[in-house]
Amino acid sequence: MDHIIKRKKELVKEFSPMLASFSLTSKVWIGFLIAVIALGLYAFVLQILNGHEVTGMRDNVVWGIYIINFIFFVCLSYSGAFIAGILHFFKTPWKNSVLRIVEIITVLSIIIGPIFILLCIGRLDRLHYLFIYPRIQSPITWDIIAIMTDLIGCFIYLYLTFIPDFAILRDNCENVPNWRKKLYKFLAIGYQDTPTQREKLHKITRTMSAMIIAMAIVAYSVLAWIFSLTVQPGWNSSIFAPYFIVAGLYSGVGVIIISMYLIRKYFKLEHYIRKIHFIGAGIILLVISLLFGYFTFSEYFSRWFSHKVHDINLLNTLFNKYFWVFIFANYIGVLVPIVILFFKKFRTIKSITFAAVIGVVGLWFNRYLIVVPTLETPYLPIQDTRPEFMEYSATWIEWSLSFAGVAAFVLFFMLLMRLVPIIPMSAIIDYEREQNRKPKMSTQNQK
Amino acid sequence: MKTTFFRYSVLILLTGFLINTNSLAQENDANNYKMLFKFKTVKQHDNSRLLEVSFIGQNKEDRKDKIPVYEAEIKFYNILSDDEVLLGAAKTNKEGIASIILPVDQSYLSDEDGFINFTAKFEGSDALDEEEEEILIKDLFLELNLAEIDSVKTVLVKANLKDSLGVETPVAELDIIISVGGMLSKMKLEEDTLEDGEFEFKFPTDLQGDVDGNVTVYAIIDDHDEFGNVVQKQTIKWGIFNKETSKVSNTLWSEAAPIWMYIVLTILLVGVWSNYIYTIINLLKIRKEGKQLELNTEN
Repeated sequence: MDHIIKRKKELVKEFSPMLASFSLTSKVWIGFLIAVIALGLYAFVLQILNGHEVTGMRDNVVWGIYIINFIFFVCLSYSGAFIAGILHFFKTPWKNSVLRIVEIITVLSIIIGPIFILLCIGRLDRLHYLFIYPRIQSPITWDIIAIMTDLIGCFIYLYLTFIPDFAILRDNCENVPNWRKKLYKFLAIGYQDTPTQREKLHKITRTMSAMIIAMAIVAYSVLAWIFSLTVQPGWNSSIFAPYFIVAGLYSGVGVIIISMYLIRKYFKLEHYIRKIHFIGAGIILLVISLLFGYFTFSEYFSRWFSHKVHDINLLNTLFNKYFWVFIFANYIGVLVPIVILFFKKFRTIKSITFAAVIGVVGLWFNRYLIVVPTLETPYLPIQDTRPEFMEYSATWIEWSLSFAGVAAFVLFFMLLMRLVPIIPMSAIIDYEREQNRKPKMSTQNQK
Repeated sequence: MKTTFFRYSVLILLTGFLINTNSLAQENDANNYKMLFKFKTVKQHDNSRLLEVSFIGQNKEDRKDKIPVYEAEIKFYNILSDDEVLLGAAKTNKEGIASIILPVDQSYLSDEDGFINFTAKFEGSDALDEEEEEILIKDLFLELNLAEIDSVKTVLVKANLKDSLGVETPVAELDIIISVGGMLSKMKLEEDTLEDGEFEFKFPTDLQGDVDGNVTVYAIIDDHDEFGNVVQKQTIKWGIFNKETSKVSNTLWSEAAPIWMYIVLTILLVGVWSNYIYTIINLLKIRKEGKQLELNTEN
């Protein structure tokens, strides 16, 4: 027991520089991120004052990059929940290095994603109608219920995994401000790491892990159904729900790799986040990119082969107006990661991260191609409208709000890393405790 | 796309043959095509008569490759011995079809057996040879009556020939088709032979009409050697209007969602939120135990 207490102190000492006051670089970064968010807030005020006129969204193309960001962030969250849930059931030490990154991504994305859907709403003053007059038949209502349930579930799950670390920090943190000590004490809810407390916490965390996997699948399918249950060309597809899930996993694993790279580099965590983690994540990304490529091909091939007028119109738009975006999203964004990750000699930390960046950016454009071209060539032909209403291009307001979303994600990530170490100390303790118990058990068995 | 482009190119070329007389290359192209000049006549329901020519070039090597001849002037004649009466002229459209409609009161030259000679002529151009085809038919009068006889909906058809004095002679052994009109084509109800110029047919009682219950009944003589094509039609309220029986219940504007949706949603939400409550209860237990430990340590 003394050994464990000593080990906890060691770990707190090791990770306390991460929790200590901000370095100059961090301060510059935080300042920059706050500036981006402030610009976004200014854009938001303009949008509220002037209405959607300041965006590129019009009567015909009613959705733009807000909804794409919404899908992107929410898909990141669901895939994070999915991966975190699965990782929880693995009893390997390597999961400790990525588990918390995944958990934080999950929660932050589900907070930021839905904000973008609010930006899409022209009459925010009528938002409460969604709750006063919900229609159970509508996939939009399903999505609101799913997102809210998922948000609370993710919060609870993240909190459960944080409790043991809050307790360690409460008991071992020295030279930290008083408010922080009080915060750790409050958040640790009297957790003393007794066997009964530990067992209870493990039990409820296991149940929550299984639940958030199921919830991620249900919620993301519901999000896909918002599109696929319509008759719009490009959306009305039976494989959209699994396609969205695979795409979500693709971007999720990609963002995890990018986060791992940045955290490893800036917090000097080479000892914990090692090449083996990148190779493992890279191979998962390879498998998912193959699956994503296969789904993308199936989706477009069946549309091209069917020769239905609406689908052909959509494909004409994709292969003319959006030719290079299409090539980047569905060829470069899939094939480059596959090529890099397929050959063993290409699998370095930098190249795997590069593949992840290409994959993530490609996937964002893939979402763009799902939303915008369909609205430009809809099922019911656009008639008697202004030419500028038929095409969409995002304005600076939309871009600044989008970048503000990304900046908020990064800023919150940085602030959360100041609250608890990115490597879960309790998981390291649990693993070492397990390892110490195993030799004893085997010795007893031998006797 | 490529085939359509090719077809229209040749169509334009064939049109060009009619206009341009000096193009040897184009003549060579036209030589690859055999000209199909088909002529038919239909006596319509209002007793007017349609004369129609289909003028199409068929590739000698690839018989499926058919190109309509566009803007070719077709002249229609009624001929008896040396007498030749021009009935009218029309130019072929993009489908290669030229047609004229002769009014009910049009008088025709006929031989002693009552045969009328209709001839369609294309006088030719430098690129295309002249074409001519004739039809010899008798002017048949088809009468279609729809009546309820002893509450039975009955279709009565009579076919007669009339001489110059207007005396009717019933026609025997004549094949007839009874159809009803549909949205895209006609549906055949009966195919039989007229005995002594008359035919009776019991109309089905379960046939669907339009929204007002109307059906259009056709009596058709189809491509007969002696009488050509003759069509008669009548519209009557004999159809039944089937009201839509299967209502679409799953709509976004329905008053309420299907019951299974409520059940599934309730099960899912109750399951998930129960687990949240269970988790919170366990967290409270952990906190209680922690407080107890704290108290024990303080004591």
